[in-house]
Amino acid sequence: MKESESTVKIDYSRRSFLKKASAASAGIAATGAVSGFPMVWANKLKDVELLHVGPSYSVIQEIADQASKDLGFKIQVQTAWTDALLTRIANQPDTVDVADLEFWATKRIWQRGNLQPVAIREIDLWDKIYPIFSKGEYPNGAKVSTQGALPYEVQYASGPGSKEIHSGPTDYATIIPTVYNADTLGIRPDLIGRPIESWAELLNPEFSGKTAILGIPAIGIMDAAMAVEARGDIQYGDKGNMTRAEIDQTIEIMKDLKSRGHFRAFWSSFDESVNLMASGEVVIQSMWSPAVTAVKTRGIPCVYQEMKEGYRGWGNGMGLMAHLDGLKRDAAVAYLNWYLSGWQGGFIARQGYYSAVPETARDHMSEDEWGYWYEGRPANDNIVDPYGNLMGKAGEKRDGGAFAKRMGNIECWNTVMDENRYMVKKWNEFTAS
Amino acid sequence: MSGARRISGMRLERVLPYVQVMPLAAVLLLFLVVPLVFVGLLSFWEFDDIQYYPSFTLANYQELFASPLTWKLMADTITFTAVVWLLTVLIGFTCSYFLTFHIRTLRVQILLLLICTIPFWTSNVIRMISWIPFLGKQGVFNQGLIAVGVIDQPLEFLLYSDFAVIVCYVNLFTLFMIVPIFNSMVKIDLSIIEAARDAGANSWNILTNIIIPLSRSGIVLGTIFVVTLVMGDFFVVKIMSGSQSANVVSAMKNEIDQLYYPPAAASAMLLILIVVLMITLVLRIVDVRRELVQ
Amino acid sequence: MSFYLLAGFFALFVLFLYGPMSSIFVLSFQGPEGGLTFPMRGVSVHWFDVLFNSQRGDAGAAFRRSAGLGLLVMGITTLLSFAAGLAFRRKFVGSGFIFYLTVISLVMPGLLISLGIGQLFQIVGVGTNWYTSGLGAHLTWTLPFGLLIMFAVFGRFSRSLEEAARDLGASRWKILVHVTTPIIFPGIIAVALFGFTLSYDEIARSVLAIGTKNTLPLEIFNMTQNVTTPDLYAIGTFTTVVSLLVILISLWSIAFIQRNRAGTPGKQ
Repeated sequence: MKESESTVKIDYSRRSFLKKASAASAGIAATGAVSGFPMVWANKLKDVELLHVGPSYSVIQEIADQASKDLGFKIQVQTAWTDALLTRIANQPDTVDVADLEFWATKRIWQRGNLQPVAIREIDLWDKIYPIFSKGEYPNGAKVSTQGALPYEVQYASGPGSKEIHSGPTDYATIIPTVYNADTLGIRPDLIGRPIESWAELLNPEFSGKTAILGIPAIGIMDAAMAVEARGDIQYGDKGNMTRAEIDQTIEIMKDLKSRGHFRAFWSSFDESVNLMASGEVVIQSMWSPAVTAVKTRGIPCVYQEMKEGYRGWGNGMGLMAHLDGLKRDAAVAYLNWYLSGWQGGFIARQGYYSAVPETARDHMSEDEWGYWYEGRPANDNIVDPYGNLMGKAGEKRDGGAFAKRMGNIECWNTVMDENRYMVKKWNEFTAS
Repeated sequence: MSGARRISGMRLERVLPYVQVMPLAAVLLLFLVVPLVFVGLLSFWEFDDIQYYPSFTLANYQELFASPLTWKLMADTITFTAVVWLLTVLIGFTCSYFLTFHIRTLRVQILLLLICTIPFWTSNVIRMISWIPFLGKQGVFNQGLIAVGVIDQPLEFLLYSDFAVIVCYVNLFTLFMIVPIFNSMVKIDLSIIEAARDAGANSWNILTNIIIPLSRSGIVLGTIFVVTLVMGDFFVVKIMSGSQSANVVSAMKNEIDQLYYPPAAASAMLLILIVVLMITLVLRIVDVRRELVQ
Repeated sequence: MSFYLLAGFFALFVLFLYGPMSSIFVLSFQGPEGGLTFPMRGVSVHWFDVLFNSQRGDAGAAFRRSAGLGLLVMGITTLLSFAAGLAFRRKFVGSGFIFYLTVISLVMPGLLISLGIGQLFQIVGVGTNWYTSGLGAHLTWTLPFGLLIMFAVFGRFSRSLEEAARDLGASRWKILVHVTTPIIFPGIIAVALFGFTLSYDEIARSVLAIGTKNTLPLEIFNMTQNVTTPDLYAIGTFTTVVSLLVILISLWSIAFIQRNRAGTPGKQ
């Protein structure tokens, strides 16, 4: 992470934004709403209201408040889980302005044409975006795992007016990457009492009745596949795009485990996973990073365990809805640019997520915070989340270590399979068995 | 009164009921019949991962009827319904019996009935999740049993199981049995019971030959409510079983969440068929309208 | 003997009904450091404050929306059920069919109705909204209750009073306003009460038809997915208090009317 030494200072105060925007609007005279007079523009701008909708781990009121303050127009947020958001984009696209989508969900919904591409040149910091999104590789040029929906594969659109996702770079982006992370299993070290280092432990009879996985089919089956493969039962061609035979085999194994009472539950909501873990109902399960910290804040030991097989990666991005045009679209683009400019990156880093532009996030974090969250160094002082809750005591290190180490070890990505429909049916069978 | 006025009055007499019932009928037509007909249409449409297309295909039904999952879900739904029905009828009947025949004063009767109904005014979601800290391994119930020494390991079947689902259903829905049964039981003329007793009938005879038959309308009405509520549920079965059980509607909800509307519509049609058959049968056996009016 | 057995059974049932729920009420008064489970860490109204004053959720707006929708549903249900109840006192062609339709509406799983309405609105190109599609969806649930209650009410109603009024030369309208309505007024209150609370707590009929702004039960359901602090319980306590107020007001108004009418004929 030495390239992050070079700090990019970008001041997205309202004035600099207006200066830029008026320059831009002079260039793009086509948008009728922009007259070219900054004052008039600014007056109209303050009446703009943008509605940003997405899951609660990414769409956060405090961030929108800061953006509204910096940009001079109102940004409203509304939380909706990915499935609800997909339904809404499909059925009522006009009720969303900016959609906060996971990359795999983008793969699913893009071809309906409810979103519009963003020209790369509109995004000032595009070149600084972490290259797993823009190039499909790590900064050192190493390739990223392509199992599942690698964000890069969903990153580029063919162009305005096209509903196609383009494989390989173009001048247009589908959604602009914002937050991402590497997911793994959470464990209760105090109740397990020995080292855990493989996904196979999820299926270990030792923990019968004390395990749980995610009940959302698309992600649950991938956690199952990670464990099944680690145990050596199946060698998948691509865990993110299984064949019917692979789905059948996986579900059979899971059904068998279920019939023996191996799973305590399949959780479908964040807080269920927290409660399962905190109450000791389960000792090893799929978890999300903030859920692990939520357990920890109750004073209960919980580790987001690094596994030798690697992590399941995911990423979110922000997409502009197709109905945005004129001034409102300009405002939305400004919002996207603000998002990458650092404040948001610093904020979400404190709850364990990574920013699409790490180096701007760094400007909004203390050296100690940067060391803890991104570099895997022991904290010098207590580390707190954005709301002041204790995340790590002085001397502690982040689970899994440094950014490069965690993101560098992605085994597969959250995805939607070609056989999604078949998989959902099989998953329903599994649930009902 | 003039003759003309009387004639117009009689005409009004004939037209009036239609005018009076029209708004209700219009709402039901617009928001029940038309949408369900549309669901019917949808079940014949084609779809892919992106959207659905007007068409006519039987594929959704072929898949539905060919899948063993359909019948498994149906069987599970019916099992849940039957068990919950039995429990709520027994509890509802017993409580109503107690209220009607053992509580003498009207004031106390109303008070106790009110106590039964108050939880109904709380959010069902809240009432549901309140069972989770209660039934868990570290929950109040398990810890209590351990404390008094009945068990030394927490009972795991209490939560995230079919047991938890049924407990929650009974907790949420028994009220829908108590109120109608109480309502019909209260109307039983006590002198009939006196007469039967004088004629030498024992308590059991009175229960089976007088009280149960005369509470029939309440039992039927309560049954309709409970069966409907259990069959239509999709979140209690999911949350309380820890997503380890499913019923027809919860599986349908999974499909809807994935934007697969046409196959969801096909299973909806099957469910509609079953519900309509069931209700027709119930209405054949009992004339609910007459029972209510009495 | 059997009295004590039955009383014991009844007491157990009440315990079953209230036990888990009351722990929620107690836990909603957790101190600021407290969690979702016992033990209590102090006693405070901190979580109620969080509920309404934090920017995180939409609980306040959701509550206003639900109350608004509940009142709207209440008004329409009361009017329509009353009118239809009057209609059903006479024989008319199609009455059997409409009754049958009402029962179907009652028993139809709510999710199917919201699926149908949601997709229908979508295909017609009208956005779903709580006061259009949502309102309609809720009415399919409250109207059957309303009509059934009206049946029960009119079933016990003696026509002799209306006939007496007619013999005295009262017009149809006068009879309706001054004789029929006052007598069945408690029934009407019951319909209104059911209309409000059934709507106020409805999820299945809302979930696909309510549009983009959540009603309170949906908001609560969302909260169960991402809230791990006692404000979730605070909202439970709050809604219960609101509901209790509604019942108390209704009971009080029934009692008030009954008392005012004491001595006048028509007391049931």
